[in-house]
This record gives sequence, structure tokens and C-alpha cells, in this order.
Amino acid sequence: MILLLPILIPLAAALVILVIPKRFSALRAMFCLAASGLVMLICFSLFGKAKVCALAPIGFGIELTFLLYQFNGFILAASAVFTFLIALYCCGFLNDKKDLSKFFSYLLFAAGFVNGAVLADNLVVMLFFWEGLLLLIFAMIAQGGLAAYKSAIKAFVIIGISDLCLMVGIALVGKLSGSLNISQVRLGVTPLAGLAFIMLMIGAISKAGAMPFHSWIPDAAIDAPLPFMTYFPGALEKLLGIYFLARITLDMFQLGKDSALGLVLMVIGAVTILAAVMMALIQKDYKRLLSYHAISQVGYMLLGIGTCLPIGIIGGLFHMLNNAIYKSCLFLSAGAVERQAGTTDLKKLGGLAKVMPLTFGCFFIAALSISGVPPFNGFFSKELIYDAALERGAIFYWAAAVGSFFTALSFLKLGHAVYGAPLNFSNLATSAEARSENASAKADKVRVKEAPFAMLLPMFLLSAACIFFGLFYRLPLKHFFQPALNPAFFKVHPLNFALSPSLVLITLIILSASVLYHLAAARKKQDSFTAADLIHHAPYLSGVFQKAEAGTFDPYELGLKFSGAFSALLFRLDQAIDWFYNRLSVKGAYLLANSLSKIHSGNYVLYLSWSLIGMLGVILCLLYLS
Amino acid sequence: MPALFILIPLLSLMLLNLPFGLMRRLIYGWGILLCLAQFFSVIYLPLGLWGRDLGVLAPFFKLDLGVDNFTRLMLICIGIVSFTAIFLVRYLILEEGKRFNFLSLLFLALIGLNGVVLVEDIFSLYVFLEVVTVCSFIIIAFSRRPDALEGAFKYVILSGIGSMMLLAAIALIFIFSGSTNFIELSAAVKALPHNWLMNFALALFLSGLLIKSGMVPFHGWLADAYTAAGPVGSIFLAGIITKTVGIYALMRVVIAVFGFSAGLIQVLLFVGALSIVVGALLALAQDDFKRMLAYSSISQVGYILLGFGCGSAFGFIAACFHLFNHAIFKSLLFVNSAALEQSTGSRDMRSMGGLAQKMPFTGITSIIGALSAAGLPPLAGFWSKLLIILALWFSGHFLYAAIAVIASLLTLSYMLSMQRKVFFGELAIGMENIREARFGLLFPAILLALIIVLIGVSAPFWIKL
Repeated sequence: MILLLPILIPLAAALVILVIPKRFSALRAMFCLAASGLVMLICFSLFGKAKVCALAPIGFGIELTFLLYQFNGFILAASAVFTFLIALYCCGFLNDKKDLSKFFSYLLFAAGFVNGAVLADNLVVMLFFWEGLLLLIFAMIAQGGLAAYKSAIKAFVIIGISDLCLMVGIALVGKLSGSLNISQVRLGVTPLAGLAFIMLMIGAISKAGAMPFHSWIPDAAIDAPLPFMTYFPGALEKLLGIYFLARITLDMFQLGKDSALGLVLMVIGAVTILAAVMMALIQKDYKRLLSYHAISQVGYMLLGIGTCLPIGIIGGLFHMLNNAIYKSCLFLSAGAVERQAGTTDLKKLGGLAKVMPLTFGCFFIAALSISGVPPFNGFFSKELIYDAALERGAIFYWAAAVGSFFTALSFLKLGHAVYGAPLNFSNLATSAEARSENASAKADKVRVKEAPFAMLLPMFLLSAACIFFGLFYRLPLKHFFQPALNPAFFKVHPLNFALSPSLVLITLIILSASVLYHLAAARKKQDSFTAADLIHHAPYLSGVFQKAEAGTFDPYELGLKFSGAFSALLFRLDQAIDWFYNRLSVKGAYLLANSLSKIHSGNYVLYLSWSLIGMLGVILCLLYLS
Repeated sequence: MPALFILIPLLSLMLLNLPFGLMRRLIYGWGILLCLAQFFSVIYLPLGLWGRDLGVLAPFFKLDLGVDNFTRLMLICIGIVSFTAIFLVRYLILEEGKRFNFLSLLFLALIGLNGVVLVEDIFSLYVFLEVVTVCSFIIIAFSRRPDALEGAFKYVILSGIGSMMLLAAIALIFIFSGSTNFIELSAAVKALPHNWLMNFALALFLSGLLIKSGMVPFHGWLADAYTAAGPVGSIFLAGIITKTVGIYALMRVVIAVFGFSAGLIQVLLFVGALSIVVGALLALAQDDFKRMLAYSSISQVGYILLGFGCGSAFGFIAACFHLFNHAIFKSLLFVNSAALEQSTGSRDMRSMGGLAQKMPFTGITSIIGALSAAGLPPLAGFWSKLLIILALWFSGHFLYAAIAVIASLLTLSYMLSMQRKVFFGELAIGMENIREARFGLLFPAILLALIIVLIGVSAPFWIKL
């Protein structure tokens, strides 16, 4: 029964927060912090244990079974840590935003649902929690104000569609294997099972934010409250989506090395890496740039898991953890900048390293980590993935490597533009004025200060984790991720996680090349902010970028266009049907009725002749047919 | 024992018509009593009693009579409709002498109807048919207005032709069988399965009965006759006479004597479908309330024929059910038309409007009747139409099933447009002083509406497919 605690405590606490009056918003924050701290402690205590909690079955193969083992215990603990850190951060971030007071409640609801989805052994029960997250995503994005509703609806539709695929996949799995319990489902390779895998995979990778289910994330980055971006696309969705992907590839389907489905995953991963990182490169907004990286990094995880090699899978999972750490740290730094400087527009920002040194420090570590610079954690997970990708095909390796080049490039640009370039007070003043109520403040009096402690602390912890997991990278690999592999299937010969020296060398060359390129470009453009414009406005590419920015490739926009055309068509059809029923058939019926009634002149001779004709008809019919 | 259904009305009619008018005043009460007695005796009399002969009277009254459930159903219908008609006579025909004459006519018609239903002999059938037909002439012409005489005249001519066909057919059949009893006739028909003369006789017989039941294209007389007959007359005519004389006789003869053949099924289905569509379309174009009901009657009888034409037991049962339902809701609608005519003095639907405010009971009962006719659940008409359509479907007549479904939309449209013109909407000009009809006119309407609703609601519990 202790397994129910990580689910029920956050849900109960969230309900309590909802009833706390608005006046005591500090109480709400404290309560949220306390509850998430408690859950974190419980999850820590559960880590490393194996437990089963089976409640009474509901019927139709739906069983309330919760299962804890090494791997999902780790996911549980990680999500609890993130929940606690975000709650802590929110205490600083949300203080001056009264209308976000419900956020604490949503945060805990989300934590409860995520824990439920991770612990549930039954697919339908998991789906229940999974769908609960959909509602919460909508609610949390919508917290960003009226403008956010459009993004919220976009997110709702995209996630809803992919969840529908997941639902179909679950139904297929139930039909094929006769059981809905993940621990009992073992499916071989048949066309129908392949379809089920694709459906489940769509649900999992769209939760993680891979292409083509990504397009709500950059929009939400602008509109949604920043803690949401950190919490969901930054951390929890990666954990949950990749966790489920690992479950389906490793446990339910047990993809082998020669599996075509793995190839599908790798292709999606490679495309996601490249396309998203190119989009990230040209962004002019702190949060939007990060959101594209949140998409791009998923590609590495898919690539790693898709290789179906132990080293790649472990690398992908490790990358999931690393990404959650440094990406949330980066998002949090964006939040700190937004709160202190009043904007996240790269054009207006600059030189913040002097006034916000601690934030800059955290950003710097996380940026190095995401770019894959040794000895930070991102470096090691990427190296593992490179290793596996190279084994499956050079093209995948090069996609990942090129992606890494652009990642480094875009973070150089971001760091340079926000923290490096000279402080542009006049730009900041206008935005700060717009934010603060005393608009009379003069430009030179605006002072950007360091972020409050409650916001800095989570960033410190996260960047510390970046360094820790980098220096001691064997620790998480052995204890967190290796247990995810089914030992019977992978026949594990002890993995030593040795890095291939030549690959490390190539990585270092790539990174130095990106630094050199950036410096050259910045010098040429005289401005760090436009350093990426050489690529942005390159021949051929610029047209593609323009279309991508305008949403031409966005499946959501395409879907909207299609559904618009489709509904216009249906409207025409409907009009035609209306015309048929309301005009044609009525007119026709009355025309027929009136002409019939005109024939009935009341002349009995006429009637008599009809009767006689009828009689002849009857006689003929009977004689002929009998 | 079944002979009592003929003998008692006959004797009482004789007694009531004794010279010097000794018993004349009793006729109204006695008539109601007779109808009720018929209704309840059919329902409650133990089956054993039906087989008894008349004892001492038997040698004087030699008729081949038989009773089965179809007969009993018809006897119940006759009881209900006759009760309604006789009940209304008191309120609609005010002159004492006329009322007595009319009631005597109704008695006579009742004898004829019971006879048609009970006999098992083709010639006796013809005789009773003629009794009813002659009564109908007089019922139609009773008011002696020019239009009544015209309607009666058309009926006389066409029905006369029909009778002629029937007689000719009987004569032809008699050539083969040497008997007129159903059982012997049936044996004779079976002995000569593909005889063209026999088929010719069947065709003549069928045509005669189709004229009497007023199916398209034999329907010329029907609308004029129904409209011209007085309010009570039209209830009796539409509710039971044409059903018994035409449809019942047709069904009985086909089942008992000729049996179904491929040609017969095609004829029945075609005539049924044609009647449904043409009747409904004609009803759509009418402005006269009773004329609309008359054409609707053609359309509904078409359904009965369609169900019967399936040639299956299921279809036959569905047709019987619809026959019963039709007797009830068409009587109800004609009672409503009588009430409307009494209150407004008109039958022209164009001059009416919003009358539901002024005549709530008539409005409510008429919408029950109309919706039952249109076949809306949970009213009785829905179930019988459903069964008919199912019977068509099961016996493979998909096209006719589709026609039946689509035509029921037509039914709905003319019934609802009638409701809209007469009862719904703004009160029409000149209708401000209209009052609800007298209780005597409402009572049968409410009774019939209750039957429709009760049968409709309880139908799911006793229909077993």
C-alpha cells in the first residue's frame, strides 16, 4: 500500500491547496513545498526496492496493479526531485503574480498523475493518469493569460491526438496478447503487433516531445508560465515519455538489433535532432530557443534507444536524465532573466553576466553540459549514443554529431547575446517600464539585480548535478539505468562504459569548430545576437527557415488547414443535402401531390375506368406470373 | 354459438322496429349495450363456449360459421368502432326520427359486419358483404345533401361493379368445386394449381375486394364517400366498414381458399405500395380535414396490404395488428373531425389555426392519433409499422421495405402539417369564440387515445419476435 502514497499524497495536497483562500498565497506555497518534500522523501525511501500493490480488479482486464522495481523507482525519485525544485523555484518566481496562485495545485496534481503513470502496471490505469496530464497541461498553459489559450488548445489537440493513438495501441495490445498488464505483455513481430508498437510509440515520443508532435512546445514557451515549461517539456515529459518508450521497446516488444521498428525510431530521432536544432539556431527569444532544444535533445534519446544496443539504450536513458537536469536549469535561468530583466528577447538583453553572475554561472555549466563538453554529464551520455549510432550506421552518427555542432553554436550565440554583449540599458528600460507600475522610473536608474535565493537554489542544485553526474558518470549508469535492461534478453556481458578515444576526439574537434565559427561570425556581423544569421540567411536555407517559422511545416497548422478545407467541403455537402431535403423533396412532393389531386376530378366515369384498368392489370399479372 | 353475434342484433332490430313504436326509445341504450357485450364477450368468454351449437335453434339457422383469433380480433374492432359510432349518434343527430333510422341502419350494418367476419362460406360472405354495402349507401346518403348523394352514387356504381366481379368469380369457382364452403374450395384450388380460369377467378375476386377496400387505382369513390357521409357515418365507414368488407374479406379468402402464389404476392405488394404513396401524396395536397383523413386511410390500408403481401405468418400478424391500430386511430381522428366540425362549423383547414388553445382535449387526442398514424414511438402505430417493415425485410422485399419507411415520412409530414394548420400556432381570425366540444364528443376520443397509448406503451412487453 505504500506504493499508493506517492500518488495520493500529491493529489490530496493539491485539493487542499485549492481550498486555501487566495489571501494566504504564502501558505499555499509553503504547503506545496512541504507536500512535495514529503513525496520526495517517500520516493527516496522507495528507491531500490521492489514492491507490488494489487487492488481489486475492475474487470475487462483492467487491474489496479502498481509495480515498483529498480528502474521506475528511479524515475519516481527523479520526478519527485524535480517537483520539489520547481516548487521551490515557484516560491520565488510566482510571488508577484497573483493570478498564478493555482499553479501550486496543478503542480502537485501533475506530480501525482506522473507517479501514477510510472507506477501503474496496467496499461489502462496508466492511460488514466496519462490523460489526466493532458488536462493539466491545458490548465497550466492556460494560466498564462488570455493569449495562452490558443497555445493551450494547440497543445490539447496535438497531445489529444497522440493520446488517441496510444489508446488504440493499448487496445491492440490487449487484443493481441490477452493481457493489459505491462509485466505480462510479450509480443512478437507480426504486422499487427508492429502497428501496435507504432501506436504506443507515437504516444510515448509525443509525450517526450519528438517531431512531428512538437509544435505546441515553442508556442507554449512564449505564452505559458515558465515553471510549467521547466516542469513539463523540460523535465517530467521527458522522464515519462522516455520511460514508457523504454517499457515498450525493452519489456513489451523486446526489439532486437535487426528490428525495423528500431530503425523507425532512429530515423525519427535523427530528423528530430537536426530539424529542431536548426530551428533553435535562428530563434531570437531565450525561451523559444530553449524550447527547440527541448525538442532536439529528445532526438538523441530516441536515437539511443532505437539502436537497440545495450550501450545505446543506456546512453539514451542517461541522456534523458541529463537533459532533464540541464534543460530545467536552463529554463530556470531564463525565468530568472525574465523576472529580473523583464524580457526574454535576445535583441534587448545583453551583458547580464555582470549583474547576475550566479545565474550566469549556472547557465554556463548547463550550456556546456548540453553542448556535450567534457567532463559535464551531457558529454558522457552523448558519447554513449554516438558509439551505438556508429555501430548501426554512420549516417546516424553524423546526424547526431552535426546536431551537436549546431547545439553548441546556438548556445554560444545565446550566452553571448544574453550575458556577454554590453549591457543595453535603454532597451531594458522600456521593457522594465512596461512591466513595473512606476513608469516614471528613469532609464539609467533601472538596475537589474541578481535573482532571489529561492530561484537560485534550484539552479545551483541542478548545475551541481550536471557536474556530479559528469564526474561520476558510472554511478547512475550502473544503478539507475542498467536495471532497466532485461538481463535475460540482453545477455549482459559486463558493460564497462569505456569511451572510444577517436569519437571523443571528433567531438572535441566539432566543439572547437563551433567556437571558431561563432567567433568569426560574431566578428563579421559585429554583433553576437545576429551571429547565426549567416546560416539563417544562407541561400536555399533562408526560404526553408521562413516557411518553417511561418508554420508551413507545422502538422498542427497543416491539420487546421486541412480540417478547414474539409469542413468547408462538408458545409457544401450539408447545404446540398439541406437543399435536397428542404427544397427539392418538399417541392417535388407538393408538385406530385397537387398534380395527383388535379387528376381526381370527381368524374365517376374516370374513376370507373381506373378501376377497370386496375382489374385488367391484376388479371394479367396473375395469369402471367402463375 | 358464434351465430349469436348475428342473431341477437337481428332479433333486437326486429323487436325495436315493432309497429307503434313501442320499443323505439330503447334503441340507443340497447345499441351501446350490444357493442359492449360483443367487446367483452369476445375477450372474456371461455374458448369452450365458442364451439357449442345453438341447441334447439340450430336446425333453423344453418350457416357455416367459424371462429379463429383473426375473427375475434375483428369482432373486437367492430365492437369498439360501433360503440364509438353509436355513442356519438346521440350528440350529432339530434332529430328523434332520424336518429332512430340511423341507429337501425347501424344495427343492420353491425349484423352484416359480424356476418362477414364469421362465415366460412364464400357465397354467404358475398351476401353479408352486400348487406354492409347497401347499408353504407344509405349511411353515406343519409343527409340527402347533393354532395352526399353524389358520394353515395359513386360508391353505388363502383361497388356495384365490384360486387359483379365477386359474383362472377364465385360462379367461376363454383364450376370447379361444386361447393361454396371454404374448405372444399380450398381443396378444389389445390387440385388445379395452375388453371388459368381459376387464376382469372382469383383476379376478379381480388379486383372486386380491392374496389371495396378502396385501394389505388380502385379508390375513386372513397374520398367523396368518406367526406360526404355525416360525422358518424364517416367514423363507421372509415373505421370498420371498408376494412371488414374489403381488407378482411380479401385476407380471409386468400388464406382460406386461394393461398399465396408468386403473382398474388406481387399484385398485393404493388397495390399496397402504390396505395401508400399515392394516398399519402394526395393527403398532403388536401385542405379539407375529412378528405385528408380519407386519403390517409388509403395510405394506411396500403400498409396492411403490404404486410399481408409478404406471404409470411409474420407479415400476416403485422397486418392484423396494423388493421386493429388503424381502426382505432382513424376512428379517433374522425371523432376529432366531428368535434372540430361541431365547434367551428367548417372542415377547411386553411381557415383554422391555434385551436389547441381553445380545444385542448381535441388537440391532444388528435395529435396522439396523428402520431400513431405516422408511426412514432411509443404509440401503437409505431409497433405495427415496425413489424410490417420487419416482415418485408425478412421476406426479402427490400425495395418495398424502403418504400414503407420513406412513405411513413410522408405520413408524418401530412399529419404534422394538419396539426400545424389546425391546432398549433396563432389563433386564426374569427376563431376567438370557439369552445371545446361537448363531453359526449370528447369521451370516445379520450377512450380511443388511451387505447392507443396503452397498447403502444405495453407493446414491447408482449411482442415476441
